Amino acid sequence: MATDPDSESNLGPLSRWTNRIITDQDARDRLYRGLFYAITVFFLVTTLFPFYWLLVLALTPNSEILSGGWDLPFLRPQGFNPAAFQEVFQQIPFHLYVLNSFILATLTTIIVLIIASLAGYVFGRLEFPGRGLLMLGILMISYFPPAAFLLPLFDAFVGNPIVAPFINVELFTPPRLVNTPGAMVLPFSALFLPLSIFILTTFYAQIPDGLEDAARVEGTTRLGALFRVIIPLSAPGVATAAVLTFISVYNEYFFSSIMSLQNEPQEWSPLVGGILSYQTQYTTEFNLMAAAAVIGVLPVVILVIIAQEKIVSGLTAGALKE
Amino acid sequence: MATETQPDATTRESRRSGPLVALTRRIENLGETGFAYLLLTPVFLLLGTVALYPLLRTFELSLYQNLVGIGQAEFVGVENYVNLFTGESDRWLPGSTTFLPGVSVDGNFPFVHLDGLLRSALAVTLIFTLVSVFFETLIGFGQALVLDQEFRGRGWVRAAIIIPWAIPIVIQGMIFFLMFHPDTGFLTAYLAEWGIVAPTNTLNDTASALLIVTVGDIWKTSAFMALLILAGLQSIDRGLYDVAEVAGATKWQRFKLITFPLILPTLGIAILFRTIQAMRIYGLIDSVSSCTVVPSLSCMVVETFNNQRGLSAALAFVTAAIIGIAVMGVIYQQYKSGDI
Repeated sequence: MATDPDSESNLGPLSRWTNRIITDQDARDRLYRGLFYAITVFFLVTTLFPFYWLLVLALTPNSEILSGGWDLPFLRPQGFNPAAFQEVFQQIPFHLYVLNSFILATLTTIIVLIIASLAGYVFGRLEFPGRGLLMLGILMISYFPPAAFLLPLFDAFVGNPIVAPFINVELFTPPRLVNTPGAMVLPFSALFLPLSIFILTTFYAQIPDGLEDAARVEGTTRLGALFRVIIPLSAPGVATAAVLTFISVYNEYFFSSIMSLQNEPQEWSPLVGGILSYQTQYTTEFNLMAAAAVIGVLPVVILVIIAQEKIVSGLTAGALKE
Repeated sequence: MATETQPDATTRESRRSGPLVALTRRIENLGETGFAYLLLTPVFLLLGTVALYPLLRTFELSLYQNLVGIGQAEFVGVENYVNLFTGESDRWLPGSTTFLPGVSVDGNFPFVHLDGLLRSALAVTLIFTLVSVFFETLIGFGQALVLDQEFRGRGWVRAAIIIPWAIPIVIQGMIFFLMFHPDTGFLTAYLAEWGIVAPTNTLNDTASALLIVTVGDIWKTSAFMALLILAGLQSIDRGLYDVAEVAGATKWQRFKLITFPLILPTLGIAILFRTIQAMRIYGLIDSVSSCTVVPSLSCMVVETFNNQRGLSAALAFVTAAIIGIAVMGVIYQQYKSGDI
């Protein structure tokens, strides 16, 4: 020991402990581990607390919420009222909004996957003039804010004629798409296509050339090799792109709230419309707002737990390797 | 004859006809470049109609004075842009409060005449972006360092940290709406005592609402930062740490001399990437508070696009231009690292 026992007994407990930490490797490791667990628990509490708060609100009867008697610091439901989860569906057809979101997300995912698979194959496996420039263009488009696309898209979707920019020639009159899935699926597809293209480009580029060459030597056509060899091998990449696109559409706010004019489920208003109608129509039914939010969040929580690996790999590939 | 009814494989292929076969054969005969562009056609179609066309058209609209329903649009050149910065168009912009006082240097210098900076939209957007990205980086780095360790239950901790990233913006908004609404929130009263938020009408007070929106964004997107930084951490060669340990480096020295310099490029990209996304902020504001209370740039576009189309388009392009500055940063980084 660095200090002799006599002088150590004169020190307070804190200084003794500090001395031990400085001199003793084991004690130091224990301290580090303790700190590490403390930080981990801190992060867990801060990320999960808001969900607990939703549950507390959903289970507390609304009259109790309004009287505001929370016993702090250990927040818990005041009373127990699971009926709120039933009432959510009675006030407005909340399930229809969620169903709309699912349909829109599925449609977008299918479109994006088909287009992005072809593009990912081209960018990942073929060398041709203009490749770098095209990828740069797609990257740039993906960085524009959705607000920059809003005006002309809205014009077109309410059925105004499409006018060629800068030469003022009317091209054609599109069908009125607002309040149909098209008005949302089209912008969603364009918005989330670039991420999938970049994820799939990375995946296709990793498939060894030999496999494709072997298939070609065997007499398969170029398209045949693409559909029979390359696309099946890229299934993990396609699944990643699918999960991320689905989540992105389910979570989208900008076009979801603007392109559905009346917030009516019959007019394809998605989850955003359902949740917002509680905020705007039932302004004091706080327990119902919370219950609706809990129900709306469940699908993505389940998806994250199932597809965690894919989300992590896709996000990092999409953002860092673009 | 028997040989003619049983032709060999190669000739059988070429003799078969029909539109599908003809098409396949034409595709097979294309050069690599032709094949590439053929497969890219759907991308061009989709991005051309839903992204490129609207962008060009928005730019064109921003050069016109277009009062909906009142006659023909009038070409005004860059007037919409100038009006935005001189305060001429403030009366069209939503909200009555200006968050920051007008930066009028006045009279002689019209350029420095930023009356309330587009009615505060620029200020709100920049403050939100800087503060949220700063804290997201800090917290994300912390979370990434935790996730980089080996411990039991690591997968569950990672899932828990990612979940906020995956939830819909409207629900994120609802959570923070309920957490800070003076009628429901348990925090508002305490925070108001400290003078951090307004005690009543909290969500309709610009400063309070901006703070709440920023906290909400930090809560949701720190996880995204964490994932990007984690990817960077895990690409660091573990051998370096072993060498440093043998050489007697402490944990802090190992972090300072190995982890930090090697993670810096990833960190740069992650920060730029988040900056671009943060400057688009709209949904969270709309669902927690309202666009008239916390006017971000995107908010202004949405609030004006029904009756002041030229102005709205100009706002959209100002937003895009400001984001463009960050985009240039990203592209330069990628270009330098040779990825494109």
